[in-house]
Amino acid sequence: MASSLLARREAREGFLFALPYLLGMLIFVLLPLVAVLWMSLTGWSLLDAPTFKGFASYAKLARDLEFRGSLGVTAVFTVGIVALNLTVALLLASLLNVKLPGIAAFRSMVFSPVVMPIVAWSLIWKFLLQPQGPLNTGLQQLGFQDANLLLNPKTALGTLIVIEVLKAVGLNTVIFLSALQGVPPEQRQAARLDGASSWQVYRHVTLPMISPTLFLVFLVTVIGALKVFTPIWVLTGGGPAGATTTLIVAMFKQGFTFFEFGYASAIATVLFLAVLLLTLLQWRLRKALVFYEE
Amino acid sequence: MGLERTQKPRSSQPWTLLLYVLLVLVCLPFVLPILWMFLSSLKSAQGIFGSPFSLNVDAGLKNFAQIFANYPFARQYLNSLLTLAISVPVTLLLAATAGYAFARMRFPGRDLAFVMTLAAMMVPAELVAIPQFIAFRNLGLANTLVPIMLLQIFSATGALSVFLMRQHFITLPRELEEAGRIDGLGTLGVFRYIMLPLSRPVLATVAIFAVLNSWNDYFNPLIYLNDEAKMTLPLALQRFTDPLGGTYWNLTLAASVLVALPVLLAFLMAQRTFIESLAASGTKG
Repeated sequence: MASSLLARREAREGFLFALPYLLGMLIFVLLPLVAVLWMSLTGWSLLDAPTFKGFASYAKLARDLEFRGSLGVTAVFTVGIVALNLTVALLLASLLNVKLPGIAAFRSMVFSPVVMPIVAWSLIWKFLLQPQGPLNTGLQQLGFQDANLLLNPKTALGTLIVIEVLKAVGLNTVIFLSALQGVPPEQRQAARLDGASSWQVYRHVTLPMISPTLFLVFLVTVIGALKVFTPIWVLTGGGPAGATTTLIVAMFKQGFTFFEFGYASAIATVLFLAVLLLTLLQWRLRKALVFYEE
Repeated sequence: MGLERTQKPRSSQPWTLLLYVLLVLVCLPFVLPILWMFLSSLKSAQGIFGSPFSLNVDAGLKNFAQIFANYPFARQYLNSLLTLAISVPVTLLLAATAGYAFARMRFPGRDLAFVMTLAAMMVPAELVAIPQFIAFRNLGLANTLVPIMLLQIFSATGALSVFLMRQHFITLPRELEEAGRIDGLGTLGVFRYIMLPLSRPVLATVAIFAVLNSWNDYFNPLIYLNDEAKMTLPLALQRFTDPLGGTYWNLTLAASVLVALPVLLAFLMAQRTFIESLAASGTKG
């Protein structure tokens, strides 16, 4: 029975060790999460008291053109970021994987925007992309007469995607780079001896070997893209004409500009469901991938 | 040189040169904006607009002097440092204790608590901002640094820290703890004198995350802080405006330099740790 005494002591001490963090997480993350779900069923605004309204906010969402627009913007933004980020990261990682004197310096250069404060990075681009700024003027001189990348609804979202990818792609590049370096050179040499071309080696040996990493990075990048807020808010504020209003920007506007807490919570819930779905998918797929990872 | 095994005969001079040219071209979009920020911070307003890419730094350090003379920038710098000085060590402490408990101690509800930590890693801070805001406002804590610090500690980064600490403690051999017990140490002693000293690399990783998270936080300050004197740096960067609301770009870019410089310097000094720890976390998810 001495062991049960020890077990009880361990239980008490373990609980005490975890308690400060668990308490904080409960108060600052999990309770607010439950509160968001509940608030989305109320018509809570800054001036009104919360009253239960059922799914009224969701019915309003379905009719709200700005919200419907933001669904599309979020989809384009997310797909654009993921496609561009992963493609560029893979190309960069393959390029930076060569053995050359000074290659480490190039790796650091690609990585440096990752540590730049996002607001500073966004402000640099905000200046460069001003209506009369150097980039638009340059484009105008090249023959794009009314080039105005951030103020044109057709180009604003694409421009934001490029700026965000330049900021963040260094991280995925480094992850791919370490995955590439984990591929045993013997495998590639063996394929070469069998007469495979460089491209065939890459396609049939290297890519399959790093596919588990590719997959995880893919899902992490999707979830990350869904919550991008700062560069959008600093560079366009969701404009022009809602062209860059993603779900998270729409939620912020409803919540902290118009103080429509209930309505904003409904938008947050939609976004939460999207993230939840992707996370569950990730867990499922990760389990399926354990076979590869061993 | 030519006969070494690692050197492939194909990588002859022209190829290597071409590769270097390609590498330089590819790196330009990443480093030019940063270099341009440094260059512009030394220019007058006219200089930035008139010839944005010229090397004529006509303002010298005037912009920097003006930032400190005409704006509460020193105060805002202190606010950011204070936030960092409190949120980072607390994050480290809570992540280490919780990570240790999750890794090594059996207590009721442990697995559920750990799953919830994983979930907290996935919940974007923005989603829970509204109830947090209402609660903090009702407590009279809006427009203070308290919610900023607390929300950094209990952010997705905080949850990731717990996760990383747990993964690390699981790998340490149990014999170390038993040896400590035999020497008469209690749980706290084992943790403090045996486990923590063995955790320096992980603690460094967690600290890097926590520092970046705190230094770059824009969303929560945007929600909570209204007084300029109470603002932290990322929010303060947007405050260099003329009476009509136009941006003083020379001042904005000089201030951006002062905000970016500490992290860029830290990165340059500890590149290896930085890149490796961030890469490792990425592959773990």
